[in-house]
Amino acid sequence: MSYFFQIVVSGVVVGSIYALAALGLVLIYKSSRVANFAHGQIIAAGAFITYFLTITIGIPIFFSFLASMIITFFLAMSVERIFLRRLIGEPIISVIMVTIGLGSIIDGLIYLTPFGTENYSFPAFLPTTPLTLGGVSISWTQLVGVIITFILIGGFSWFFKKSTVGISMRAVSDDQFGAMSVGISVPKVFGLAWATAGLSAAAAGCIIGNITGLNFDTLHAFGIVVFPVLILGGLDSILGAVVAGIIMGLIQQLASGYLDGNWGLSGTGEVMPYIILLIILLFKPHGLFGIHEIERV
Amino acid sequence: MKNKRCLSLTGLILIMFFTFTPSVNAEGKIHKLGMSLAITGPTSDAGNPYSKGVEDYFRFVNETRVLGDDKIECMIRDDQYKTDVTKRNFEEYLDKGIVMYLNYSTGSTLGLKRDFEEEQIAVLPASYHAGNLDDSNYIFLPVASYSEQLVALSEYVVKNHKGGKAKVAMFIHPSAFGRGPVEDAQKAIKAGLNMEIVEVVEHGKNLDNSAMLKRLSNKGVQYVLCHTVQSPVSTMLKDSTRLGMTAKSYGEKGKLTFLGVHYTGGNDLIALAGDASEGFFWTCSFNLTSEPGKGTDKQLALAKRYGRDNKAANSHNYAAGIMVAQVVTEAIKRTKAKGFEVNKKNLYKEMNAMNGNYAYQPYTTIGPVTYSDTDRAGVDMLQIYSVQDGTFKKVGTPIQSEYMKKIE
Amino acid sequence: MSTNPWLATGNYFTSYKQEQATFHTHLDRSVFTLFLFLLFAWPVFFPMGNKYMLVIDNILIAIVAVMGLNLVTGFAGLISIGHAAFVGIGAYTVASFCRIMGDSHIFVTHFWPVLIIMAGLMGALFGGIVGLPALRLKHLYLAIATLSFQMIFQWVINFMSFFNQGQTIFVGRVTWFTGTVGRKDHYLFWYYVILIFVVLLGFGIRNLLKTKYGRSLVAVRDNDRAADAMGIHPGLTKVYAFALAGFFAGVAGALHAYLYRGVGFESFTLHESISYLAMAIVGGLGTLNGSFWGPVAIKLLDLNVEQLAELAGRYLPSSMNLATALRPFTFGLVIVLFLMFEPRGIANWWRIVKSYTKLWPFRY
Repeated sequence: MSYFFQIVVSGVVVGSIYALAALGLVLIYKSSRVANFAHGQIIAAGAFITYFLTITIGIPIFFSFLASMIITFFLAMSVERIFLRRLIGEPIISVIMVTIGLGSIIDGLIYLTPFGTENYSFPAFLPTTPLTLGGVSISWTQLVGVIITFILIGGFSWFFKKSTVGISMRAVSDDQFGAMSVGISVPKVFGLAWATAGLSAAAAGCIIGNITGLNFDTLHAFGIVVFPVLILGGLDSILGAVVAGIIMGLIQQLASGYLDGNWGLSGTGEVMPYIILLIILLFKPHGLFGIHEIERV
Repeated sequence: MKNKRCLSLTGLILIMFFTFTPSVNAEGKIHKLGMSLAITGPTSDAGNPYSKGVEDYFRFVNETRVLGDDKIECMIRDDQYKTDVTKRNFEEYLDKGIVMYLNYSTGSTLGLKRDFEEEQIAVLPASYHAGNLDDSNYIFLPVASYSEQLVALSEYVVKNHKGGKAKVAMFIHPSAFGRGPVEDAQKAIKAGLNMEIVEVVEHGKNLDNSAMLKRLSNKGVQYVLCHTVQSPVSTMLKDSTRLGMTAKSYGEKGKLTFLGVHYTGGNDLIALAGDASEGFFWTCSFNLTSEPGKGTDKQLALAKRYGRDNKAANSHNYAAGIMVAQVVTEAIKRTKAKGFEVNKKNLYKEMNAMNGNYAYQPYTTIGPVTYSDTDRAGVDMLQIYSVQDGTFKKVGTPIQSEYMKKIE
Repeated sequence: MSTNPWLATGNYFTSYKQEQATFHTHLDRSVFTLFLFLLFAWPVFFPMGNKYMLVIDNILIAIVAVMGLNLVTGFAGLISIGHAAFVGIGAYTVASFCRIMGDSHIFVTHFWPVLIIMAGLMGALFGGIVGLPALRLKHLYLAIATLSFQMIFQWVINFMSFFNQGQTIFVGRVTWFTGTVGRKDHYLFWYYVILIFVVLLGFGIRNLLKTKYGRSLVAVRDNDRAADAMGIHPGLTKVYAFALAGFFAGVAGALHAYLYRGVGFESFTLHESISYLAMAIVGGLGTLNGSFWGPVAIKLLDLNVEQLAELAGRYLPSSMNLATALRPFTFGLVIVLFLMFEPRGIANWWRIVKSYTKLWPFRY
């Protein structure tokens, strides 16, 4: 039984990290209806900036973590300003491809630095002894990761529910023209959405980097890995991302915990999220928490 | 038009190419070689220093006139781990008249196998996959195959295991690269190796291996043999350390001892896993700079000469790159010494003759390089290293697999 | 019909049949015939090295694949991020025959045109199956569904020992009337074969777009509810668009398998899917000639950047990173610049050039 609980706990932990990684995608989609395929690269960039500030410049890791969040905040904002502002109103395929192109450009820029090809790891700053409760164990890194995830997600939920800026962002996602007519600057909202997404990406990058070590291939793959989470959650719901993230984490852990090694199967943790996603989409085409769009001719 | 611009760009580049190509030395000959490898894309963390090693050594050969007036011109191309691009590079090298070819990935080596046969060109890949050698006469593995390494590692486990049958698990890459050697290990067990493979785990991009490690531990596994790349191993090692399951000393009861084949180890693993890599056992056929000797001094001097950073200079992949360049240079040198023309056919013959008294000892490897009609693996010896205080240290003397001969 | 059969400066059609003609003037027809003749004749006069022949063959195969992608994404407006997987289905159809019968079985080596068509049909079958979610899904959800298919395809190939776990499955040398096609003529031979496929399929698309079936694709793209009101079944049309794209991709895959004489899963990854999309975009979505421009531009760009990188590497020896960074950087930059400044792709430049030359020298 402890085996089962361990799987569940691992699944929840991994799932919350997925949720955090997917959060940035949700934020962007929520306000500007853009699916960002360059998210993995921003995640990687955030992690590398933190490492650079900590090791090369020598700032304490907590501050460099914050600094990297601020840097990616402005980085993502300028990306939106330079590249995506022009594409408002273009077909969805163009926007998707621009983000793919952007991802490739960032790839190129990261390959310019040693980070593109070499491996690093963050200095250990948390206790290495794990927390154990009734045979189930969880590491400090993971625990802190989960806590940061929930702080950020809680913060963003509050931000969207209560703050004026957040409410104006929701207004824009609901009806751009309506929002404009009450004096909300739509471009500013888009910029802000990207910026907050960049911020959450940096946080996700640092947490994932702490768990896997800093390897560019591993990190930027997360941009694609979290797409099932995003879709399952219904694209524009923060709560959806959290629930879907945890569901995906559980599916992955359960699949590799119980399917692998039986019936000659292996590596099912990689593919199961996609299979489950396809099945769910057939029954709920807008994900679990997505808004059913009403279309008119 | 885009098209036109591309053409004119091609033209421009070609013109520049011809104007800037160094003028041919009138007396010496130029021996052309080609290499295609992943400098970007998957496994580029290994490919990058590897390419630097090859590049630096050939520059060294040309500058210090190792081949007299003759020069080596080695074209190095990035193929991003894509077989299609590798094939394109290979065809271009053939058009340019290379005498020997250096390849990289398992996939492209297997994919181009038939072309190598038809072209009858000797090939040195960076992939030590045993499957490269099936139905092939022209592929020379620089060192012992992954299969041989894994079997040798298994033998090491059995030899040093106290009490009963050694229970092991395999942690492998989810591809043919990972799966191939496991079959050979199973054959070795059939041939009498006193070991039990409890489970074969194929990893994904897992962020948490706790469940897997607990399952292995519950099944009584004591050793985990890894055959994959560094990143997943590092995640697993971290998880194991966190759970307190990593053995403090080799084969500690109730704990897990981790061992790995060529691409799981090296400084990259230490960089990724940090303290969690402590006590990790690793097979490698190269000298490491953490165990200084004459060979590593030369390696570091070469890196210094061409301004490489510490990370590249100390990488075993850098050594691996130097090693293949050394083997090629040696083959060319011997062909020349015998007074033969340096071409595909003679180089192939020379490679095959590299055995017995003619075995070649490069400064980068722990044993001599031997090839013959039947022996397609260069360095047969393997050194076991383990991480102690953050560096790989030698464990015992070089070993050689016994069961590999029995199962072939 | 205008009075001068060689030139036309306006629209003189009096029946729909006239408008549907492939060539409107004699000039069009002769220029096209000459162009086609040149395409077939040039290798005889200017023999190329194997590398460039391979590059050209590769471009042609990409053209076949992109024509299919353009049908589903450009004309029917359904984003497919799994096109390389369909190409892979075609390639692995050939590979399956090689696995079952042996790679130099007479069926593989002599009846290869049959096998290529079969691969296309297999691609169409899978295209139809993957298109099924399109009955319910739209936009981004559909795009991600195709992405899922790509991932599942990769996993299946990598996992099943029947497919050699993603390692190369060899395909034997084919036989033609002149005997076995050897290494020397291999790329030239396949140049002609692929060229014939490109021409035939190109005409196929061109004619398709003039029929009800082609127009229904465009109608569904522009507004599927309006199309529904006009009696076009949007769901079926979408599934059929995917099946059609699958056919093209399958043919491309089979050609790829024969050209490279082997099938390995590295050629059908997500990255390739994205490359196909980039080709379609750069060429011009929703245009036939865009399917030709895109692959040419992207593949030549890659080649040129590679040479540039090599040149840079020659003078910047210890900063190899700069050279290798260029490749993804330029690839991304080209996509982004095109989408920002020329979203209609190279096909639009072609249109401008054509309309310019049509009136030249008598401009308004």
